[in-house]
Amino acid sequence: MAFDAEKEITKLWRDLGSAQSEVGKTYMRWRRAALEIAGPGADPTEVSLKAARIIGAEFGRSLLPRLNWLKGEEAWLISLANQLAGQWATQGAQVKVEKGANPFELFIKWERCPWPTFAKEYDVPMEEDVRCCDAILETSLMDINVFFNVEYHIETLKAIPRGQGVCLRRLAKRIK
Amino acid sequence: MARVLFEWDYSSYPGAKSYPNLFNPIRIGNLMIPNRVKYAATEDNLNSHDGFVTDADVAYIRARAEGVIGGMCFMQGVYMDQARKGQGYVGQAAAWDDKFIPGLKRLADAIHSQRAIAGFQLMDCGRVGAVDVPYGHGPSAVPQRLRIFRPMHEMTIPEIEEMVQQHVDAAKRGVTAGFDVIEISGIVGYLISNFVSKYTNRRSDKYGGDLRGRMQAVVEIIQGVKKAVGPDIPVGIRLCAEELLDDVRGNTPEESMQTYVIAEEAGVDYISVTAGWQESIVPVISRDVPMGSWLHLAKRAKQHVKIPVQMAYRLFLPEFPEKAIAAGELDMWEICRSMIADPLMPKKVLEGRPNEIRHCVACNLCLARLFRDAPMTCYINPMCAHEHVESYYPKPVAADEKKQVMIVGAGPAGLECAHVAARRGHEVKVYDKREELGGSLLEASRAPYGDDELMTCVTYQKTMCEKYGVEFRLGTEVTADLIGEEMPDVVVLATGPVYAPLPSAAADNPKVVGVLDVLSGKAQVGDKVVVWGNRKPGIGVALYLAKQGKKVTIVGKEKSAGFDVNPSFKWRYMIYLRQNKVNAYNDCDIVEVGQSELLVRTFDGYRFPLQYDTLVLTERRPNEDLKAAVQGEGLQLYVIGDALMPRNLSSAVHDGYRIGLRI
Repeated sequence: MAFDAEKEITKLWRDLGSAQSEVGKTYMRWRRAALEIAGPGADPTEVSLKAARIIGAEFGRSLLPRLNWLKGEEAWLISLANQLAGQWATQGAQVKVEKGANPFELFIKWERCPWPTFAKEYDVPMEEDVRCCDAILETSLMDINVFFNVEYHIETLKAIPRGQGVCLRRLAKRIK
Repeated sequence: MARVLFEWDYSSYPGAKSYPNLFNPIRIGNLMIPNRVKYAATEDNLNSHDGFVTDADVAYIRARAEGVIGGMCFMQGVYMDQARKGQGYVGQAAAWDDKFIPGLKRLADAIHSQRAIAGFQLMDCGRVGAVDVPYGHGPSAVPQRLRIFRPMHEMTIPEIEEMVQQHVDAAKRGVTAGFDVIEISGIVGYLISNFVSKYTNRRSDKYGGDLRGRMQAVVEIIQGVKKAVGPDIPVGIRLCAEELLDDVRGNTPEESMQTYVIAEEAGVDYISVTAGWQESIVPVISRDVPMGSWLHLAKRAKQHVKIPVQMAYRLFLPEFPEKAIAAGELDMWEICRSMIADPLMPKKVLEGRPNEIRHCVACNLCLARLFRDAPMTCYINPMCAHEHVESYYPKPVAADEKKQVMIVGAGPAGLECAHVAARRGHEVKVYDKREELGGSLLEASRAPYGDDELMTCVTYQKTMCEKYGVEFRLGTEVTADLIGEEMPDVVVLATGPVYAPLPSAAADNPKVVGVLDVLSGKAQVGDKVVVWGNRKPGIGVALYLAKQGKKVTIVGKEKSAGFDVNPSFKWRYMIYLRQNKVNAYNDCDIVEVGQSELLVRTFDGYRFPLQYDTLVLTERRPNEDLKAAVQGEGLQLYVIGDALMPRNLSSAVHDGYRIGLRI
């Protein structure tokens, strides 16, 4: 049977890389279009944050059917963190989920991420990149919190665009 | 002394002897119900999109009223708000104004014309409502996890008070229209259930908090309706015995039982027990759930309340409710889909004609249609929603001229056509090369997860064929010569499909086998199996083999496995494929078949090998074998079912029925 595994995998891998690259570039092109329409008075970061919140809300809603409370809150939280990490992984990031000090605290660590590179390529301030990721994650939790009647929040401890080597975020239950 | 609306005496009927508990009267509130049969309120999308009752709905309900032989027959639940937030179905009847009363009266009159008890249901669809407006309403604005439903608006206290009053006003309109019983719907995600469940009610005011608080709106509705309709009109409620929402932190079963107790305290005259929400991830009523699975919920309800308890939910055979009533675990048999499939189902039970029942196959096509704004239809009953069409119902119109009809193929398409044509007065002969009736359904019904129930269709068709004098010529292969000898007026080809060979597989490859041979046990099947074809036949045989411990992989051309299965059942198959570790490669082709390996190519050109011991072919194409021969003789020809275009059982039955009418 004429089948060259290396050739097939190479083709698949290259195509995946191209697709991931197009995701980032397409976002940056839309950002540029939005800024041109918004005019010179618009704050580019505010425009990007608006987009990030829309992306986050949509993303959060898309997670509702995939999250399940049946195995308890701890398992639910790990599943949530994995879904959040998975979203970036499909875009080409390397993301890990690590346990925190208590069952209701997890750390999500981005060891590599393509978004700062896209930002640099399209002349977007590094801080905007961090704030957009924050906004996506925060807004994605909004519907999830209401739906499951919980109160989780996410905070950024380190960020690659800030020169800290990794993005490190803490996902934890809010202490009242 | 309880009121008696209609006198019924069942003592001379055979069914009353076989099922003495089903045909025994029961008192509900101050009303005597002659038997224990109830057609449960079911949406049908047959009414106008602004809520007015149509001729189609009246005819639909009249047929079901005949079926309950004196029992309770409920019209579909009505929505009650002018803003239409409570409307969950485009063809749902309305009762928010007196202008709807004349139409509602037509339904009550239709039910009474059959000497049955007319039931009126109040149904604000709440979280699953707002079908035609941008926002739904509910106790709290809990986001939807299914995108087909609208975003939610949290009701204010005045809005809740208005909603309670709407229930009361609508109930009064129902009584004015002539209905005898009022029912409040609090199930599957509708507004009442939204108030009751801690999943969707996060309020901290008097309409939220603990269970009593979450039941407050329900109690106000029950008390308001009871007061408005007076002591002669029983008021019932449908409530979940189990929400099956543990994955989203819904009520516990214990809390659900307490809702029954609170409803009884508030004054309801009966409880209708239900299970699950539309959002539940647990299957409740599909074919894979064995009949009678939920009866323990009725038993549990009986342990908590003294008022009569009713229940539907996979009680498709009278033995189940009969036994449960005898055991004191149930009081009334609710029927829904079984009477969509056969409106006269309980009547046939009473008359001792069980084999004349066209049984529901629990495919949920009816629900899938409703959720997609389409009028009710039934997978297995071509007459459903055609009850107002004279040529369809109550019996097919007689033929103008008697013809000799040769039907080739004794599968569901051929048999359906045969009994309809024979009933219309034609002389019908059915030929099949097999010795048994059923065609490829004989093998298809061996697939797991309830597919054996599909054969009930053939049992019904056989009975009807015999009743109307159809002649069977089994074990006879029809050839061009035979057609020439017989020279009938009409030939109907219902020969089923041809199982298409795979071009990349050598014809003499012993590892390549047909799906029918696998399901009938004729083919030897190895441990590693690749199934070619990702429609229903492929899924059925894949699960059949996976249940035997085989490692099964499906490869098919369709973009998603089971695209030909209706969405209300397809999700079950997707779960079963996962549970049985069956991989499905969709949108793919098999481009090369070797001795122990085959090569799959995705739609976009990637290729990968799969090891196999057996390759099962399930792809079908139309069977055109005898077409030319019939056309050559100049005979009237019809091609139906899979012989025309391979599809599913429903298409076979519907094709057969329509052509049976046309000959």
